[in-house]
Amino acid sequence: MAAVPSRAGATPPRTPPGQSRPRFHHGVASGDPLPDAVVLWTRVTPRPGDDPGTGRGPVVDVTWEVAADAQFRRIVRSGTVRTGPDRDHTVKVDATRLTPGTWYWYRFRCQGSTSPVGRTRTAPAHSAATPRLRMAVVSCANWQAGWFTAYRHLAERRDLDLVLHLGDYLYEYAPGEYQARDVVVRPHDPPREMTALADYRRRHGQYKTDPDLQALHAVAPWVVTWDDHESANDAWAGGAENHTAGAEGEWRRRRSFAQRAYAEWMPVRYEAGGRLYRRLRFGRLASLSMLDLRTYRDEQVGSPVDPALGDPDRTITGREQFRFLLDGLADRQVQWKLVGNPVMITPVRFPNALDTRLADGISTLVDAPLPPVQGVPYNVDQWDGYPVERARVLGHLRDRGIRDTVFLTGDIHSGWACDLPIDGLTYPVNGNSVGVELVCTSVTSDNLDDITNSPPRTTSRAVETAFKASNPHIRYLDFDSHGFSVLQVTPAGAQMDWYVLTDRTDPNAAAVHSVSYRVRAGTQKVEPAPRRLV
Amino acid sequence: MNPRTTQLDRRRFLQVGAAGGAAIVLSTAVGAQPALATRRPDLRVYVLVVDGANPAEVEPLLMPQLSRLRREGTWFANARSLPVMETIPYHVMMMTGVRPDRSGVPANSVFDRREGVVRDLDRPSDLRFPTVIERLNARGATTGTVLSKEYLFGIFGGRATHRWEPKPVLPVTGHAPDAFTVDAAIAMVDRFDPNLLFVNLGDVDRVGHSDLTGPVLQAARTAALVSSDLQVGRFVEHLRRTGRWNRSVVIALADHSMDWSLVTNVVSVAQILSGRPDLRDHLQIAQNGGADLLYWTGRANRRTAALDEIRRLVRAHPGVLSVQRPDQLRLGAEAGDLVCFARAGWRFSDTTALSNPIPGNHGHPVTEPIPFLVSGGHPAVRRGVVRSEPARTLDVAPTVGALFGLGAPRGGYDGTARTSAFTRLPVSR
Repeated sequence: MAAVPSRAGATPPRTPPGQSRPRFHHGVASGDPLPDAVVLWTRVTPRPGDDPGTGRGPVVDVTWEVAADAQFRRIVRSGTVRTGPDRDHTVKVDATRLTPGTWYWYRFRCQGSTSPVGRTRTAPAHSAATPRLRMAVVSCANWQAGWFTAYRHLAERRDLDLVLHLGDYLYEYAPGEYQARDVVVRPHDPPREMTALADYRRRHGQYKTDPDLQALHAVAPWVVTWDDHESANDAWAGGAENHTAGAEGEWRRRRSFAQRAYAEWMPVRYEAGGRLYRRLRFGRLASLSMLDLRTYRDEQVGSPVDPALGDPDRTITGREQFRFLLDGLADRQVQWKLVGNPVMITPVRFPNALDTRLADGISTLVDAPLPPVQGVPYNVDQWDGYPVERARVLGHLRDRGIRDTVFLTGDIHSGWACDLPIDGLTYPVNGNSVGVELVCTSVTSDNLDDITNSPPRTTSRAVETAFKASNPHIRYLDFDSHGFSVLQVTPAGAQMDWYVLTDRTDPNAAAVHSVSYRVRAGTQKVEPAPRRLV
Repeated sequence: MNPRTTQLDRRRFLQVGAAGGAAIVLSTAVGAQPALATRRPDLRVYVLVVDGANPAEVEPLLMPQLSRLRREGTWFANARSLPVMETIPYHVMMMTGVRPDRSGVPANSVFDRREGVVRDLDRPSDLRFPTVIERLNARGATTGTVLSKEYLFGIFGGRATHRWEPKPVLPVTGHAPDAFTVDAAIAMVDRFDPNLLFVNLGDVDRVGHSDLTGPVLQAARTAALVSSDLQVGRFVEHLRRTGRWNRSVVIALADHSMDWSLVTNVVSVAQILSGRPDLRDHLQIAQNGGADLLYWTGRANRRTAALDEIRRLVRAHPGVLSVQRPDQLRLGAEAGDLVCFARAGWRFSDTTALSNPIPGNHGHPVTEPIPFLVSGGHPAVRRGVVRSEPARTLDVAPTVGALFGLGAPRGGYDGTARTSAFTRLPVSR
């Protein structure tokens, strides 16, 4: 059984004085399961004060062990790797020659110290008739906005094959810049916006001290991608909304820091300078294409009525990743084509029947000015800002007769279940959907009621109704709640359960099942599920 | 000599009555039956092809009978057809288990270089690979074909022990309505009780082709789905009522699904090349709805350059999805030099833009998804199961073969026996 850290460690890390032996303050993690391999991760603190981002500490050897049982009676793989300040004392190992579809336990040792134990699972063999895949789906966890209670509730489940994190794993802001409405529940460290390599490392180190986050990392492998806040808000290939060239240095240099720290601190088969987008496979049942929609994209247009929206050369994926995505969708050997998609792909048109305050709230949520014109896309940071490329993706699904495609999305701090119509005009008549999108809400980050400063599930309901009326392919929308989702995929269908937290600022908040939607195999349409997953 | 006539001459004809009072004529291979009685296995396998059905349509409100079979059997949720998604090659793939480069049947319509004409592949001699029908016959089992379309009746010829010639055949569509087809299937079961019965129900496809509401509503086709499903139910109910159900395995599937195009969304390769007589005048086109097969007939030393140029020009059309070489798709020499596929919502029309006026078409990749289920009352059928394996129409022959303990043909199958649909194989080899 995996170790679950105590909540007592929830403050920013500082190695206790007088400690002499190495410590594993940041927990353990695993990720990117293949049929015969999985990435194992930890961070060792060799001596007191060798803290993240300090560049201090000796080079040390760390031994890793993978066992077939929680007691480590049967160790099946082991090895030793060297780490040091050049990679912030993080350790990342690709443990290979494992057995497909198998649970394993792992731990690290360094100079007499032993890490907590993690549990992980390899993917099924490519040819395996996998009956079920169940995963947590999370995104947008802002330390300053609350407690990672969502992670704790997920860690307490024993039914997850993996955890899918769709980005905004951490936030770049300084204390007071972005929190829970006006309340900083717990301040960021370092106490400034992260722009330098040491900042990114130190912020990653802070997040990894959260006991709920550690607990969830320890119980199942994660599959992650970044969105914008791992580097800076509304990032694109040449900059970001929250990057001031000059004062904050050159963008590519800043982004390289963010990506290096991400490679060091995340259990992902990625090294800085490489490509994050990749594909995993779970037997015949499902593939999971993880996208990077920040590194290669063209700059966002200035407004939803910018004529540049129709530019056929604008891209959110970049040419190579676009080809990668289409190839994965066309794979006939696998039934469900899951796409880890950091920002929404569903076309969403803005209704004009909202009062000014609510419209302003939406504008803040999507971080863009909105004109009071019904029919314009509501968020040009999403695929809505790249409609020609989106049309090519949806056209690909239609032209090739591709079925059972599910985009799994985060970013927008709200829960959605949507069809993906190929033709919005005739959709209300014939439901011409070519796939679906399921969007998890934020773990803690502000959403609409927070922005409008309204009680949850009050004024936002009118907004949701207006959005659904203007966009009949949106079947479920919750603009207010924080929490997590659980997705189950079987040959018969895919179902997502949404769970909402009673209060993100309460470390003991409960998680309550909110709603469940499913897509039955072959239908390309979401519908309410009769019951939640058990 | 007409090979079809020769085969028919060697058959005995039997007229039986149908429920509606109409006469049904079944024919039997002369000399086949007496040798069978003592050797034939108890198993019955019924392959029911709901021609042109889409897997999403097999749902309780629209097709309750097929939905019940699905619920009570194994459903292959990731089933697809293979290029070219046309009726004749697909039925051939079902019964041979091999790709067109081995069967000789890549499409409905090809340019026959020897005869110098574009024609349907509807002759028994067009199919050059042994079918599971003949191979079962050789093992002492009996087989039957009840195929609603004239060209299917043509290509399968006298291969089955017992067969029905589609009647009455509707003008224009060239097929017998499902009600008559199922009458014939029931009559064949009652009269001959073959071990393997291969049935094609053509209404869904034929109505779909001509459904003018297809691009939006598909109203006529929806009615056909309901009607065809009723006929499937009638056949299954007959098996239940006559005590055959417990030894029955039903494999129900489609050969392709259907796509609709507006009258404006037409691709004519001849028209694309109209300004290039150096290409157009040396090209034959076999139009297959959502696919065109192109055959270079000019000088051999110009072939490569000409095909490259044709590919470039055709691919530039907004309604063209891809242009591929037949060998990339294992279609064989009969498929010519290039295979063009339409995008969804488009169709080919050659040699003129008016040659193909029908809105519903198939043959292009959007029509690949098919329903594919294994059901029946046989205790070996695995019930209430949905599977992800990529079942193909090619898999029917290997599955039927496995059920009867029949070995693979020479060179092996290209398809896979879907044995995961069974708890055990009912007939040991």
